[in-house]
Amino acid sequence: MTAPIPTSSRKYDLNFARWVRDNVEGGNKMNMCMQCGACSGSCPIGTEMKDGPRKIFMMVRAGMKEEVLDNSTLWNCTSCYRCVVRCPRGVPVTYILQGLAALSAKEGYAPKVSNNYFAKFFWMSTAKLGKTDERLVTTAYFFSFGLVEGVKRSLANLKIAFNMVKAGRMHIGLPHTIKDKKGLAAILEKAKEIEERS
Amino acid sequence: MSKKKKMTYYPGCSSEGSGRHLDESIRAILPDLGVDIVDIDDWNCCGASVGHIGGGALPNLALTGRNLAKAQERGNQDVVTGCAACYLNTHAGNEKIKADVKKRRVVNEALAEADLSYDDELDVHHVMEVIVNDIGMEKVEELSTNKLKGLKVAGWVGCQTVRPFAGTEAGGKYATYEDPTFLDDITKAVGAEVTDFSPKTNCCGGSVAVMKPEKTLHLMKTILDAAVESGADVVSTPCPLCQTNLEMYQDAINKEYGTDYNMPVVFPSQLIAVAMGMEKEKDAGLQRQTIRSQKLEDMAKK
Repeated sequence: MTAPIPTSSRKYDLNFARWVRDNVEGGNKMNMCMQCGACSGSCPIGTEMKDGPRKIFMMVRAGMKEEVLDNSTLWNCTSCYRCVVRCPRGVPVTYILQGLAALSAKEGYAPKVSNNYFAKFFWMSTAKLGKTDERLVTTAYFFSFGLVEGVKRSLANLKIAFNMVKAGRMHIGLPHTIKDKKGLAAILEKAKEIEERS
Repeated sequence: MSKKKKMTYYPGCSSEGSGRHLDESIRAILPDLGVDIVDIDDWNCCGASVGHIGGGALPNLALTGRNLAKAQERGNQDVVTGCAACYLNTHAGNEKIKADVKKRRVVNEALAEADLSYDDELDVHHVMEVIVNDIGMEKVEELSTNKLKGLKVAGWVGCQTVRPFAGTEAGGKYATYEDPTFLDDITKAVGAEVTDFSPKTNCCGGSVAVMKPEKTLHLMKTILDAAVESGADVVSTPCPLCQTNLEMYQDAINKEYGTDYNMPVVFPSQLIAVAMGMEKEKDAGLQRQTIRSQKLEDMAKK
């Protein structure tokens, strides 16, 4: 975990911090951060992150948009909310990371990030069926790594799947859906339209 | 509680898959504990922890908006759910909509596409909060006539059940974030024994465990290490994803670390169902464990 060092060849977007403040949920509280590191120190999975939340916030302030949006910190957050309840300055850390992850996906910074695939398949299931189909989302996710990797991952999880079917915890047959799929689709379409217009 | 409380129940997607035993045991115990529940009609997914990435912030909030609009039709003031992620999203979304007129307006603009509208001031609760604040531990203890004597239970609360809302006014102020006691209180109320288990609010990796188990196995190992060391027969957790993760990755953990863990992970609602003398399969859903606890099953009356 080495901090990125400013160089003259690095690109800075000096409006980035302002943009985050205005557009990311909780971003308006980011200026309360005093760089104490309670967030990164509390993170259960900090070792799997390139920079961790404390550094990410400093990088946002410095305008390092590219490095922030292309950063494993956003994608390895488990949403445990420990940083949120421990932050002595009331910064909603998890929410900000989630907002940055959504922005990263939208701006195309995460084309090869596996969590982004997972999020896409998850949303497809939710938007089309109205419910998460645990089987479809995981299988689609496994095969997003390619056919060979997909087969490999599926086989590796075969025993788990078998046990879950046996216990009646993996549904067999057509996916569960809501009744008013059309209504939900119209709601989500409209919500997307509203979000884009603002 | 003298009069029966009526609440609108949000089962969530896991109730039809990996978390069926959570749903079954909640449905079994709540009416006897004095809370009648009726499902949100045609409920949809809450968006879990990745909906905002896949769909965007407002579409994700619209999922909660639709559930709340449908819940409002039931005419009860309170919504209750047993799933940590469902609770987190629905509660957070509800508070956001209630506090921000503009947000409510745009959500309702989207909901209007399906002739729905959320205009009420509902409250969203977690089942654990309802057990602590509305039902009361004395009632659980009183109705637990089939005491689970000698069963050693490690209480693992996990994350989203208590964080970030359990200590807030809107979250019912029923637990602390770092050292919640309600799970151990339930263990005691059903006559079982609380073990000395410290990683109560540790994270299992959540959905990252599903996506990249190799990055989170060590988190689950810490929890299993402590549970085994404490002498527990079972781990009890209120969260459906915690339960499934900790149960299904034990093989992978054993392979990676050379351990031989085979620790049953159950829901507190299952323990309550067994203690209330209910059926072990139909009510407690014990046959749905992929790692079963013979000791607990033998304690069931029916």
